[in-house]
Amino acid sequence: MRTQEGRLRLACWLTIAALALFVWSVLDPGVVAVMLAMSLGQVLGTAATALFFWVVWTDLRRARVIDRERR
Amino acid sequence: MEKVSISTVKSIADLLVVATILFAVIAFAIMLWYLARRPPLTGVTKLVLLAGIFVFPLMSAMSGNVSGYDTTQKREFCGGCHVMIPWTADAEDPNSKSLASMHARNELFGDRNCYRCHEDYAMFGAVTTKATGMVHLLHYVKTYWSVPAEETFGRIHIYNPYPNHNCMHCHSTELDGFEELADHKGAIESIRSGKESCVSSGCHGPAHPFSKVTKEGAE
Ligand code: HEC
Ligand code: HEC
Repeated sequence: MRTQEGRLRLACWLTIAALALFVWSVLDPGVVAVMLAMSLGQVLGTAATALFFWVVWTDLRRARVIDRERR
Repeated sequence: MEKVSISTVKSIADLLVVATILFAVIAFAIMLWYLARRPPLTGVTKLVLLAGIFVFPLMSAMSGNVSGYDTTQKREFCGGCHVMIPWTADAEDPNSKSLASMHARNELFGDRNCYRCHEDYAMFGAVTTKATGMVHLLHYVKTYWSVPAEETFGRIHIYNPYPNHNCMHCHSTELDGFEELADHKGAIESIRSGKESCVSSGCHGPAHPFSKVTKEGAE
């Protein structure tokens, strides 16, 4: 989680976990699978997305700071 | 005609399953690519990740949620908590004369009769139904997890008096056959306004008579 790459890798793993829940819930739509996919799955996917946009946002800000210092 | 519409619904359900998996597989491939190749974080990499972390998972989640929402309406799902099994078993019993069971045999909604009778028929009905469903789930985990199903008779109640409006969602009360019945005729206004319950005993209730066996008249 130290580097931007590390954050993105974490986001990837979170996404994979969420996707696994989605796929499980449609292939074997039992009570547990469906409830997990519609709760935990959403949380994991949202966390991954938030992490991704955080990385992009901080990258952009950093780039702008560098630009400003150069000028 | 009915056969056609049923098979269409089935294929839409299948389509949702296929879509959920397809979008997930695409996103999964992108995730694997990034994790295995560790490409430099260029603009292009970020764009690909945008698709893999956000766009495709979102599409997979959306079709998966529609499919999941559909699943939660099925009687099978209601029976997923063991304390509901006496109710679902009664509905599935072809010899049962309970009102709930008599609503379990038609092709249109027979396999989701619990939901069709117990959902809130209002603008945000789906939301409030799911919210109370979550309360039920908590209640189940806290109180009924290890209670044998039969011991819940008389302990599990309906939250609010059953609204006639739910019955009238399907039974309009406007047909001649309805009004001609003596019991309906005299009370038509108080039935429509909900003053007199359709499911009071002596009328069409209780809907689940077996659950009233141990404690007479439990309400
Ligand atoms: C989702 C629509 C729907 C709802 C809600 C609904 N019904 Fe029905 N009802 C039906 C259908 C459809 C049938 C015919 C079922 C069949 O023929 O298999 C039926 C049949 C009946 C019958 C006839 C049973 C018989 O012996 O012929 C009664 C009585 C009845 N409903 C009362 C009620 C009452 C009371 C409620 C409210 C607690 C209610 N219904 C809610 C759709 C509904
Ligand atoms: C015809 C509409 C109808 C259907 C179908 C129906 N219910 Fe009910 N349910 C009612 C009504 C009305 C009550 C209120 C008490 C009563 O009349 O028995 C009720 C009450 C309940 C209660 C509270 C305990 C009790 O027995 O009073 C539970 C639990 C319940 N229903 C579960 C289910 C489940 C599970 C299914 C599907 C197998 C189902 N219901 C199908 C109408 C229905």
